[in-house]
Amino acid sequence: MEKLKKLANTKYFMTIMWILILVALWEVFAIIVSHTKRTPENILPHLSGIIESVFSRRTVNGDQTAVKMVMVNAAATLSRAGIGYVVGIVSGFALALLMSLWKPIEKIAFPYLMLIQMIPILGMAPIINALTGDINKSRIVIAAILTFYPVATNTLAGFKSVQKEKHELMYSYAAGKIRIYTKMMIPSCIPYFFTGLKISAPMAITASILVDTLQGGIGLGCLLSQALKGAMTRYVFWQIVFFSAIIGILSFSIMGLLEYIICPYKRTQKN
Amino acid sequence: MGENKNTEIMLKDIGMIYRTNDNKDVTALTSVNLDIQKGEFVSLVGPSGCGKTTLLRIIADLITPTSGEIKIAGETPREARLKRRYGIVFQGAVLYEWRTVLKNIMLPLEIMNVPKDEQEERAMKMLELVGLTEFANHYPNQLSGGMQQRVGIARALAIQPEILLMDEPFSALDEFTREKLHVDLLKIWRKTNKTIIFVTHNISESVFLSDKVCVLSPHPGRLSAVVDINLARPRTMEMKTTQEFTNLVAKVRNSFEGV
Amino acid sequence: MIKKRISVDSATSVVYPLAFGIIIVLMWQSGMLHKILKTDEYILPYPTRIFQIISENSDKISQNAASSVFVTVTGLVLGSILGYLAAIGATVSPRFGKGGLTVISAFNAIPIVAMAPVIMNWTKDISSKAEIRSTVAKIIVVTLMCMASMSINAHRGLNELKPFSLDLMKSYAADKKTVFLKLRLPNSIPYVFTALKVSVPASVITALVSEYFAEYRAGVGRQIRENILIAQYATAWAYIAVACLIGIILFVLLLMAESIFLRKRRSH
Repeated sequence: MEKLKKLANTKYFMTIMWILILVALWEVFAIIVSHTKRTPENILPHLSGIIESVFSRRTVNGDQTAVKMVMVNAAATLSRAGIGYVVGIVSGFALALLMSLWKPIEKIAFPYLMLIQMIPILGMAPIINALTGDINKSRIVIAAILTFYPVATNTLAGFKSVQKEKHELMYSYAAGKIRIYTKMMIPSCIPYFFTGLKISAPMAITASILVDTLQGGIGLGCLLSQALKGAMTRYVFWQIVFFSAIIGILSFSIMGLLEYIICPYKRTQKN
Repeated sequence: MGENKNTEIMLKDIGMIYRTNDNKDVTALTSVNLDIQKGEFVSLVGPSGCGKTTLLRIIADLITPTSGEIKIAGETPREARLKRRYGIVFQGAVLYEWRTVLKNIMLPLEIMNVPKDEQEERAMKMLELVGLTEFANHYPNQLSGGMQQRVGIARALAIQPEILLMDEPFSALDEFTREKLHVDLLKIWRKTNKTIIFVTHNISESVFLSDKVCVLSPHPGRLSAVVDINLARPRTMEMKTTQEFTNLVAKVRNSFEGV
Repeated sequence: MIKKRISVDSATSVVYPLAFGIIIVLMWQSGMLHKILKTDEYILPYPTRIFQIISENSDKISQNAASSVFVTVTGLVLGSILGYLAAIGATVSPRFGKGGLTVISAFNAIPIVAMAPVIMNWTKDISSKAEIRSTVAKIIVVTLMCMASMSINAHRGLNELKPFSLDLMKSYAADKKTVFLKLRLPNSIPYVFTALKVSVPASVITALVSEYFAEYRAGVGRQIRENILIAQYATAWAYIAVACLIGIILFVLLLMAESIFLRKRRSH
């Protein structure tokens, strides 16, 4: 009994409670919808229907089942999002490093970094698609741009947050620039760097899916548009909705997990 | 005064003028003359704004004085710094939080290109000196404030400096921890025979620890007196209740000007 | 000497980025940028051409801009209020509320492209007018996006109080309402601005993207897309310029509001 009470007090338990509440609400509305609408699966299908469609062997397009189609298209989108994400991380980190190393670069780039923050880059997806002329390239480019900004600003903030005394210690050790960066600046900005990674991971995925919707071909977004237009069973659409939501949350959590592994000192707490 | 074979630090007519953002000159220090002998424990004591930290930073080559001459064993502070003659301890422990206690102490040795196996050996020896051997693989955030500060001292000593510069190292600690660290610091000092410059605003602390208390007064920052502390060594907690001790504290306190 | 260095320092922080910007614009106008990007002046029109289009179509552009701004601001306000209320709820009942916040924060990671079409489906019966249906749907999407960041930040603002301030309130025997009004609410204001700095740009983006999926063709985002589909690149660029302008203006307004609030706070 005591154990049960303890369990009920944990944050995880409450989170699960909330998820159950959301599921219950969904189902209540789904029941209402199924009684009042002619095509309930367009508006709010039962969750069981969506899960069933995931495991269904029925082919929806050629010889592909719904879930196989989603997976094939997801692979095309996510691999490009991943490449763009890595490109964005590397260039964002490199810019922050250059800005920290060389003052004129910081002066040139800083106002523009602030400006990028205010500009709706995702809204420019169509023009980037037109500029690159190739859907795969544009997926990579836009995912990279969206990753670049949070990584660059957070990493720079990390470099700037290094205590003055830590710099002075390095100075008193007569440490060279390379040592100062490898032994102090880079390790100490890692948590900030990960903040950038966590913000931009779901954004890179969103961006790639969005680019898909602009053009035909293979990709989660293309499939989403087709399913929306009624080219195949609506359950494909719902599968994509849930799949991209889960992938978005998962990408964030994976970055959190990676941080947990790389920064063991963040696990320890004074007691 | 004058150059003596045993003089470790010689300050001659040191002055420091800052220019503020609104273009006003502020005199942080004016004509400081002071000789510190090898192996001496010297405190710089005074209220805030008296320039005691400025003086420490000048010795450490963290700032350059606007006037005067300074010699560290006959060399400039810059030469002394490049030869790693300084160990610095700040008010906060300033530990690198992503490194374990042992790795923190090894950091300056890594930078000095000390061979890998010697790094660990020397770091462990330092940990033993401050009595934290069993915490070698802990991270700084797992230690109490007093323990963190001891790691800071061990790290400063690891590079085997001639001079240990301490900037209010114990002022953030509670009284009980501080008193314990006083005794520990004196033991370490006796074992290692370093020259120690100790900045504090605590008069009793300065008297208890030092051979010589330099009293600095503010507006403008200046050295207003040097009080020799002739209390017997090793110092014990019991000494703090003696008449002799109380008299010395009073003498230091009466040396302040314009406070 | 020192004085000179300071003024040179502040001058270069204006001159350097300005020079960089001018060089880029010159390269763009002279066609060098096209060579670097391997494109032509058809897909990437000259700045002068973009300005020309904006001035020629100012009526249509301002109509679409108004639609986007309306959706952005309404969703932003609604979402922020709801998010703040959620944070209050989680403060009143922490045991139950914190789990809820975890779930809400997950909304931040859900791609808008997945959310927008679903909500478009839900609002089909709201009105017989496509314009109203679409506007409501777009506002809901923006609202959901803004709710997440506001609830998390506001919750921190309501609970990360200065040490002993709660004890002080207890010593006055203050009731919960007083503690909220005199302590938690003012304490949360800087955190509200932190949330808004994230959600203002995010709400502009969300509004533009949700326009893609709307039934009714309106808004700057939709126009960018439609014009590219019919290969009217210059017009699309005009709308992109307007979109950037909306983002910048809203953000600057936010910064101004913040400085006013914080100045008041300091003088108190």
